[in-house]
Amino acid sequence: MTHPFRGFTAILYKEFHVVLRDPFTLFFMLFPPLMEMIAFGYALDNDVKHMSTVVLDQDQTVESRQLVERFVNTQTFRVTGFAHSPEEMALQMRRGEAHVGIQIPQDFTRNLHAGRNARVQVLIDGSSSTIAGSALNTAVAVTLRESVGAMMAATGRTDLPIEVRPQILYNPAMRSPNFFVPGVIGVVLQIATTFATAMSLVRERERGTLEQLLVSPLSRWGLMLGKLIPYLVIGSGMAAGLYAIMSLLFDVPIVGSGFALAVATGIYLFALLSLGLLLSTRAQNQMQALQMSMVFIMPSVFFSGFIFPRETMPEIFWWVGALLPTTYFIELARAIILRGATLQEFGPHLVILVGMGLALFGLCVARFRQKMG
Amino acid sequence: MIRCEALTKKFGGFTAVDHVSFSVNQGSIFGFLGPNGSGKSTVIRMLCGLLEPTSGTAHIAGIDTARESDRIKSLIGYMSQKFSLYDELTVHENLQFYGRLYGLSGAALQSRYRELIELTHLDPYLNRRAGLLSGGWRQRLAMACSLVHRPKVLFLDEPTAGIDPVARRELWDLLFTFAADGMTLFVTTHYMDEAERCSQVGYIHLSKLVVCGEPDALKELPVVNPLGTRRLELTCPHAMSALQAVRNLDGMRSATMFGQSLHLLADDALDEARLRSTLAGAGIHSADIRPTTPSLEDVFVALTASRESELASRT
Repeated sequence: MTHPFRGFTAILYKEFHVVLRDPFTLFFMLFPPLMEMIAFGYALDNDVKHMSTVVLDQDQTVESRQLVERFVNTQTFRVTGFAHSPEEMALQMRRGEAHVGIQIPQDFTRNLHAGRNARVQVLIDGSSSTIAGSALNTAVAVTLRESVGAMMAATGRTDLPIEVRPQILYNPAMRSPNFFVPGVIGVVLQIATTFATAMSLVRERERGTLEQLLVSPLSRWGLMLGKLIPYLVIGSGMAAGLYAIMSLLFDVPIVGSGFALAVATGIYLFALLSLGLLLSTRAQNQMQALQMSMVFIMPSVFFSGFIFPRETMPEIFWWVGALLPTTYFIELARAIILRGATLQEFGPHLVILVGMGLALFGLCVARFRQKMG
Repeated sequence: MIRCEALTKKFGGFTAVDHVSFSVNQGSIFGFLGPNGSGKSTVIRMLCGLLEPTSGTAHIAGIDTARESDRIKSLIGYMSQKFSLYDELTVHENLQFYGRLYGLSGAALQSRYRELIELTHLDPYLNRRAGLLSGGWRQRLAMACSLVHRPKVLFLDEPTAGIDPVARRELWDLLFTFAADGMTLFVTTHYMDEAERCSQVGYIHLSKLVVCGEPDALKELPVVNPLGTRRLELTCPHAMSALQAVRNLDGMRSATMFGQSLHLLADDALDEARLRSTLAGAGIHSADIRPTTPSLEDVFVALTASRESELASRT
């Protein structure tokens, strides 16, 4: 009679019916994450390609045109216009018509053939630091290779004194989606599930049905578990859909085991849902629940390593990140999806996630008052 | 069956319920009356174990509702003011849910379900969502849900607010059946005719229980029938102008419209001849005047007035 999960099956029965009966809520739980995922996946692409470039070629020789050609061949630059004076070039860049300006002075070929220092000026719009950095590296690499080629021709050497042979592991094409999409899944799952459970108890409080539950012999464990499990099922289905989109639409293959990924995702969802429930034991109305969820969602976007690497953060933000389940999940997901890591190799992460989930769930049961007022 | 002793609830500096004591016998219908905000719902919530009393005690069937709230949960049913149902669930699903919540399953659940449907005549609406039911049917469903575990005590917080008269009558018929079966009922209401049907009535005003007893006993109270006065019922055409005429007579304690007639509380010195001559002066020549007993409404009006003058004289 007084087992600790009294009323659990009743709540489970009710929650499934309520959730499935209300396609509107279900739609708003499932649809925005899909859109966010697709939007984020495409937008968060910092592969710098085809930057608009204006050329001021004051030399007008075969060599100068060849140099421009070398720049274009890197795929980083795309010539969108030609300027006739430095002022015109500066104007085009200020207007944002071009992000890069290449100026080749008229003595370029002459100096080159005379063995003197031939100068080329490259102007880069630094408004966006990522793009500027990438353009800078490419421009330096192009001119360095040309210089080395010229020097080798002059000295008669045919091979480089030192040759570096880099090999990029795990994401050989260095595509951004491989880095971002697993993180996007972590963030998107958090938004959908935390909101959903944060709302669920609050809605009962507002409608007065909570009062009815409190006069029944329902136990706290039964209530919380009954509320959590339906959303765990829905969340898992949603995660499966997101992983499918990841591999089909964004061509990010899952290198590691699907089972490991499922386990990690399930534990992560449990922690998020418990967090949502914890918020809903405190919030008095849906507005408060919404604001409380935002308090946890914003740091997860910034400090979890989803966009910005945690290693370069000031120490305080690194610690903020260390408190968030999303941080551990994103590291786990990237390891499994991209590097084929096993759960054993990420044991500590898993243990922390399990610990967070159990602590949050225990806390929400403990904090839930069966009295009013 | 229900016993409160000096039950008190304070919310911060505000005393919502102030030393309320009463007891209700098994199988009786206790009518709990009082203006909105006087503390009725707070008393119910303390009796159901939803609120912790600040001081005083409440017992149901001898069990302390604050200290052993888990034990009383299976004894009581509670139908709150808003008929808290799940609007997106059907009638069938709501009942199934509450049945499971109280630990019923399988054949026991199905047979109880059948009984409740029969009792409340809900069968035509089984697949309708609770949110789409009219007030009267919502109330029946809420009642069926609160009865699922055969409670010994049923609390109904304004069960007939916003319900049509036919549904109201049918609900009361049901309540009498339950009481006859030995269930104890605790009902809050604003309707005097409902109060008249209760075996016991309590009246709470500004957090204090002003009076408690059988309706007929309350009508005999000295406050209601001051010495040297009598109650009269005056029936005549143009009752409204009659009211204007007699209201300010010397010795008229109170005069109120009651349907087509007037209820008067007058000093014995104010005789019938004086009344008739006053009415004639207002152009009313035929009137039926006879002694009458106070209604429950008269009782509560008198009690409220005496309590307010008492409070006013104290400050």
